[in-house]
Amino acid sequence: MPNQNGTVYGLTILSPIINDEKATPSHDLQIRKYLATLPTGENSPFAQTPGTHLARLVVMDDVIYVGMPACEEHLNSKYLIFESNLDGGPTGDLDSYLRGLAQSIPEHLDAIWSHCVGYPGAANAQAFVDYMKACQLETTFFFAAVNDKSVPETLRALQTQSAVTDFIATHQGMEPSRLQAEFVQFANELKATPVPPAGSMPDLVHRGFRSPSEEIKTGGHNE
Amino acid sequence: MSNINGKVYAMNAITPMKPWKTWVLRLIFFILGHVKPLQNDLINLSFIEFARWVVVPRNKFPALGNGQVKEELKYDYLLFFSNFNGTWNQYIDAFSAVLAKGLNLIWRWSEKFPGSVPVTIFKEYIARVQFDTDYYYTAYPHATANDLKSAHIVQAGFNSLSKRALNSTPEQFAADYLSFVIQVQTHLGETGEAPVVF
Amino acid sequence: MPVARYIFLQLKEVPQARVLIRRLLHEITTGQHWDGGKPQSTLNIAFTHQGLRALELPDATLLSFPVEFQQGMKKRAAILGDTGLNSPEHWDEVWQAESVHVWLGVHALSAEALETRCSAIAALLGETGGATIIGAQDAASAIVNGKQTTGEHFGYTDGFGNPDYLGFARSSQPGQGKLMPDGSWAQLATGELLLGYADEAGELPVAPVPHILAANGTFMVYRKLHQNLATFRAFLDENAALYGGGKEKLAAKFIGRWRDGTPLELSPDGPDQSIVKDPQRNTNFTYGADDDGTHCPIGAHIRRVHPRDAFGFNGRLIDRRRITRRGLPYGRFAAEDEQVSDTEDRGIIFMALNANISRQFEFVQQQWIDYGNDAHQGNDKDMLLGNHGGQGKYVIQGDRAAANPPFVCANLPNFVELRGGDYFFLPSITALGMIAMDLVDPR
Repeated sequence: MPNQNGTVYGLTILSPIINDEKATPSHDLQIRKYLATLPTGENSPFAQTPGTHLARLVVMDDVIYVGMPACEEHLNSKYLIFESNLDGGPTGDLDSYLRGLAQSIPEHLDAIWSHCVGYPGAANAQAFVDYMKACQLETTFFFAAVNDKSVPETLRALQTQSAVTDFIATHQGMEPSRLQAEFVQFANELKATPVPPAGSMPDLVHRGFRSPSEEIKTGGHNE
Repeated sequence: MSNINGKVYAMNAITPMKPWKTWVLRLIFFILGHVKPLQNDLINLSFIEFARWVVVPRNKFPALGNGQVKEELKYDYLLFFSNFNGTWNQYIDAFSAVLAKGLNLIWRWSEKFPGSVPVTIFKEYIARVQFDTDYYYTAYPHATANDLKSAHIVQAGFNSLSKRALNSTPEQFAADYLSFVIQVQTHLGETGEAPVVF
Repeated sequence: MPVARYIFLQLKEVPQARVLIRRLLHEITTGQHWDGGKPQSTLNIAFTHQGLRALELPDATLLSFPVEFQQGMKKRAAILGDTGLNSPEHWDEVWQAESVHVWLGVHALSAEALETRCSAIAALLGETGGATIIGAQDAASAIVNGKQTTGEHFGYTDGFGNPDYLGFARSSQPGQGKLMPDGSWAQLATGELLLGYADEAGELPVAPVPHILAANGTFMVYRKLHQNLATFRAFLDENAALYGGGKEKLAAKFIGRWRDGTPLELSPDGPDQSIVKDPQRNTNFTYGADDDGTHCPIGAHIRRVHPRDAFGFNGRLIDRRRITRRGLPYGRFAAEDEQVSDTEDRGIIFMALNANISRQFEFVQQQWIDYGNDAHQGNDKDMLLGNHGGQGKYVIQGDRAAANPPFVCANLPNFVELRGGDYFFLPSITALGMIAMDLVDPR
């Protein structure tokens, strides 16, 4: 299944945008405008709904004329491209992801896709899923650097990497029983620390390392 | 710069192909997908988080009625979406320097492709067929593909060490800990902001 | 040559400026062989974009120069990571003002020869009224026991890193060029250094027009790097006390060579002058057998700036990122046991020559020195040159040997601070003549 690579699913959606000369601004411009103001960090709609590693939205105006001897041609509609790299699990479960979108961020979906032909709205999750699948293109070849870790696992691993580095730097040359005790405490604290939110740039002012005598704050959020 | 979010760049490119050539390309991708060692160079370049190629046959642009005029095209189209780390120039320089054959194999079927070597003309072609991203999201803007791979190695090592920490003597733990440090010592790079684009 | 003075000029009215350049044409040292042995002094000239504008080259020509050269180094500060302590507000006045038009590099065999040459230049300036001197920088090799050395202030032996190009008469050493699939070293394409020649990408490098203005020319990056010797020594001592390998080994782990120049990769346990003195060996190594960095740390300075085979692909990813280094230390050398202060004026004048400033120097500075992703070091910066601001860390990979433990240096200070500089174009003699005689015609 070329849409899948390990547990990651490559979703490619091409939604024709409504072509209405009477609309001012035109539907494609309205989409662009909305997207320009949408947050891309932890407040992104995609951070509110699970399973998105990386995703993009692109208004494709037209195909491109590469020059003679190629022929010039044009599209009759503009298209909204939605390219998402998501957690589909071992079975490549796309439906859960799409339902997740419809249930958690319907206002955003409607704001964007209401400008597209035949969009039924996100209120009816099944209709939304069917619409997206009608616009889905098969990914011919999908490459992933890491293809077997979910978004939460990834965020957890990044947090661990940062905290472990801190621990190693501040526990050099420590005698074994103290090292062991501090490590066990560190591991427990780390486990209890919530993972930083998806889409966020953690405040890694973490670069200042403190000695063990100071309170160690783990989790990557340091003052 | 909506093409960029943190350390990752979203490139989109569309190139036209004569329909009979699309079949050759599909076969090439099929082989690439099933003969894993062919992907080694791509994996070792290690600055792509996700990338995909999508062949769009000329009659497969979604047509949903409701007054939408269907497309009438001569060419099939190859869409390319990449999520990569580093600058645009660095990315293309690297591919041109080490993956020229692979790039040629994929794009020679696209009209007017000049070849991936030498690099300046190749960059002009890409600039012509590239179009910009309107909205780009990443769950981990502070991490590159290298950071991700390293993080998973650290996590795995840490999990093992944590288990053993509970039941070992201090001396055993100290030895385990040293082994752990040695195992992860090339994977401790800090994550954070990307350098300024140029 | 052991002593140098870099003179910074501001050009005056165009006619007088051109006369000055015409007169200097006869004085400039060319690349021709020195049949009579080394001259007493040499003179080279380079121009900022401002300088070329002051000489009223045609607009179309001026606009055909690469963007980064047109902007000048100060405007590229964010790209180069020249922020915080390295930001332009801390630079010497002459560089902050972006007023340098011309760089004159005078090198000499002795202090007397230097003064003689500089007086002659000053006289020429007076006679022609073509420019005023707005600044100068002296620099000199370290002299140890009466002999010229390539040492720098932190105690390291410098001067191993220069690349080796096709067509140059200098003797080449294995390790300086590019790595071939069979493990041997070949010379780099001339076009990585000089404009108008084929480069490693199999084309002529991007260059200003007309062709004859660019051919045989190159771009030069000039950076004055102040060295905080007191901070460095204190940091080394403090961390050496905790490091199982001892002080000299720790110092070696920062750079990738023992302070006498022995590469860690060839001699991980101790310095070895027999390697240093043998040009066939002293830069002839690769990192393939040292993936885990236990000999030479993966973030060590020389490994960052010349990764050799460390990125795989037989080194092809780095062939276009090489730079030719020139320059000398400046300021008084202090003995190891002498009290020193960071405010004392000492450092190194870093000059890099390359065909393309953004692809070569700027890339290395941004991606390999002030950042570490390609070296799999995330955001970690180069230990000695990085703009740390008191933060960050340096990981020294190790093994189970007590004398080679894994070790992390944290809370890194700025060992080096940028005090100014700019981007220059070093024209060929022909091009210089055309500039002097106002013969430059754009396409």
